[in-house]
Amino acid sequence: MADNIKTSSYDALVIGAGIAGGEAALNLANNGYSVLLVEKDLSVGGKMILLSKVFPTLDCAACITTPKVSEISRHPGITIYTGSEVRRVVKKSENNFEAEVVKHPRYVIEDDCTACQLCEQACPVVVKDQYQYNLVGRKAAFIPFSIASPRVAAIDIENCTLCGACEKVCPTKCIDFTMEPEEFLVSVGTVIVATGFRLFDPLNMPRYGYGEYKNVLTSMEMERQLAPTRPFNTILRPGDGKMPDKLAYVLCTGSRDATVGNPICSQICCMYSIKQAQLLMGALPMADVTIYYINIRSFGKGFEEFYEQAKGMGVNFIKGKIGKITEKENGNLVLRYEDINENRLREAEHDMVILSVGVLPNPDAASIFQGEELKLDHLNFIGQARPLANPSETSIKGVFVAGTASGPMDIPDSILSAGSASSEAMSYLIRKG
Amino acid sequence: MAAVNTAFSRELSKFGAFDFNACYNCGNCTAVCSLSNETDSFPREMIRFSVLGLEDDIKGSLKPWLCYYCGECTTHCPQQAEPGELMMSLRRWLTSVYDWTGLSGLLYRSLTATVAAMTAVALGVLAYAFHEDLHLEKIMHTGHLFEMVAIAAVFSVILLPNLVRMWYFIILKPGLRIPVKKYITSLADLFIHMFTQKRTLGCDDSQVRWFEHLVLVFGYLGLLFTTVFLDWFSSDSAFVITLGYVVSIIIFTVTIIFVGERIARKREMNSKSQPSDWMFVVWLFLMGISAFAVRLFSDLGILESNTWLYLTHLIILAQWALVIVPFGKWTHFLYRSFAMYFDKLKKS
Repeated sequence: MADNIKTSSYDALVIGAGIAGGEAALNLANNGYSVLLVEKDLSVGGKMILLSKVFPTLDCAACITTPKVSEISRHPGITIYTGSEVRRVVKKSENNFEAEVVKHPRYVIEDDCTACQLCEQACPVVVKDQYQYNLVGRKAAFIPFSIASPRVAAIDIENCTLCGACEKVCPTKCIDFTMEPEEFLVSVGTVIVATGFRLFDPLNMPRYGYGEYKNVLTSMEMERQLAPTRPFNTILRPGDGKMPDKLAYVLCTGSRDATVGNPICSQICCMYSIKQAQLLMGALPMADVTIYYINIRSFGKGFEEFYEQAKGMGVNFIKGKIGKITEKENGNLVLRYEDINENRLREAEHDMVILSVGVLPNPDAASIFQGEELKLDHLNFIGQARPLANPSETSIKGVFVAGTASGPMDIPDSILSAGSASSEAMSYLIRKG
Repeated sequence: MAAVNTAFSRELSKFGAFDFNACYNCGNCTAVCSLSNETDSFPREMIRFSVLGLEDDIKGSLKPWLCYYCGECTTHCPQQAEPGELMMSLRRWLTSVYDWTGLSGLLYRSLTATVAAMTAVALGVLAYAFHEDLHLEKIMHTGHLFEMVAIAAVFSVILLPNLVRMWYFIILKPGLRIPVKKYITSLADLFIHMFTQKRTLGCDDSQVRWFEHLVLVFGYLGLLFTTVFLDWFSSDSAFVITLGYVVSIIIFTVTIIFVGERIARKREMNSKSQPSDWMFVVWLFLMGISAFAVRLFSDLGILESNTWLYLTHLIILAQWALVIVPFGKWTHFLYRSFAMYFDKLKKS
């Protein structure tokens, strides 16, 4: 195997190509540094590229992300490895890190694929589409999503039956089932960790019935139904395909809740729920939308106005945490809560419920650092050595953190954080330690 | 507009645990509570009253007694503030408020006072026994007499006035006018709740708990009846003797289960046991097993040579009748059922 390991060197390694990692890579490359951008997913763009619109401006998320993504992809200073993982990072000395990177086989030769989708049409296997948050199906030979970058097919080898149908129809003969994982030994001068966050899995909260009741969705599933590249072209409830007219948002699902191990506020759920509610008022003009909250935290620039705008549009806001959800025979859902302003226990019926799931840390990045320890904070986000004086510094000199890897934040803050991390990384490179 | 009374939280914390700083007022506790409904929402309201120290509102409320501590609210409290335990603390506090002698409060707050009271009663029994030169027959006769006198005295001097005080706080002080006829027609509810505790069935997954409790209540009332009114220890009737054995066995078996559960802390309600909770169940157990042993020794003809056994039983009985029944956890038997009765009256 040792002979197969390819070696290369860059000024910087950026782990994670979401909006923060992408922005950091772009800043570094625009200043003349060479960057290796490693993404475990099949496309760059992270979670943002899958969103509908962004708060509080209601700009189209894809319209902000895609130009940025194409700038990253075409930048001569940035090398992108998608479907790849950083296995190990060792600090040898200042400005000298050694990283082991594995590129998992896509079974498609990226340079030859024209994204004609003939393989997709030929493939007989249908599985759930993770990029549409399981709302619809996809094939085992597939292009991840329409605005993916690189827009190149991939074979989902776990579900592939190796029937060879895709190979036969591919006009450029770019499908190659003999591909093997490629290993790279990379030396870099600095590392930026932009590994993002995970969403709370509401299966851990059985009293809300997610997974059991079909018309209980997560906010990310609703985000997909609202996105320009949405699967149904309208809003449908998954249980029976009915267009809902009474929707409920359950805020703080998996946030500010010590019983599920996440005591902190996720900072984004109030605002993305208010945003979705406004979009729903447009998508379903006759529908009622109610947001059940503990406190509305509209602290950012333009947020309070955005909240007032939602109220003005007719979104209902009810103060009270949802205790439990039960399903009626017709698929409607009964939400039990205490109306805090009226001091009364209430039960409300809705035909679709959206759980505003919270932000959880993605602690995987810490374990890849060997030798010196990359410390996590008490909530398992990447620890910030000096959160006030220099929020992008970590416990390792020369390793910086960008975006939600360090804690919950919204998109503008993630981009700001990426700016801070990249400029800190540059001054670290210039100072030589 | 009521004034905030910050001293109340300090006072209440002596009756049990609640993190007053943790609650962020989300109402999750009320929403998951299976006994809460549109007319009676709790525990959040009680938590607000407690945090603000609105003592009069708490005194005038029956909600603490409407909770049967299934523990769901505590399990799901996002801030781990222990709302279920707050309700329990409020019941202890209310018990001390209803008690005109003030002794309940003293015993709840101070373990030393409790130990002192129990010791004093034990010494009193021993003093009397030595005064009678440990003459078993005489002591047993007095013991039986004591049971009857104690029941009558405790009820008329302590419990009845306390129930009147409870009625005053709930009905009279808030100025509710309830026709006398309603008092009579609602009596059925009082007895149904007193003897069946049927409200517990509304708590989630509590059928077993309800059943154990029901068996214990009937075992206890059965033992009370057989020893006091049928004079079990001196009876020759085979029926009475068998009945006494059965009920005493029931008491110590069920209490062993209860003690085991308190030790294992399997249920949310058992996780924060106070000395008063332990004492109640342990003394019930001791009463059951000592009564059983006394009658067994008597049937074997060896009680004469084992006076200590009857003395032990009498000490336990006296402690039960003079400390736990009037001032301890026993009173929940009355307050819970009268709460349901007053609730019915209030809503009429």
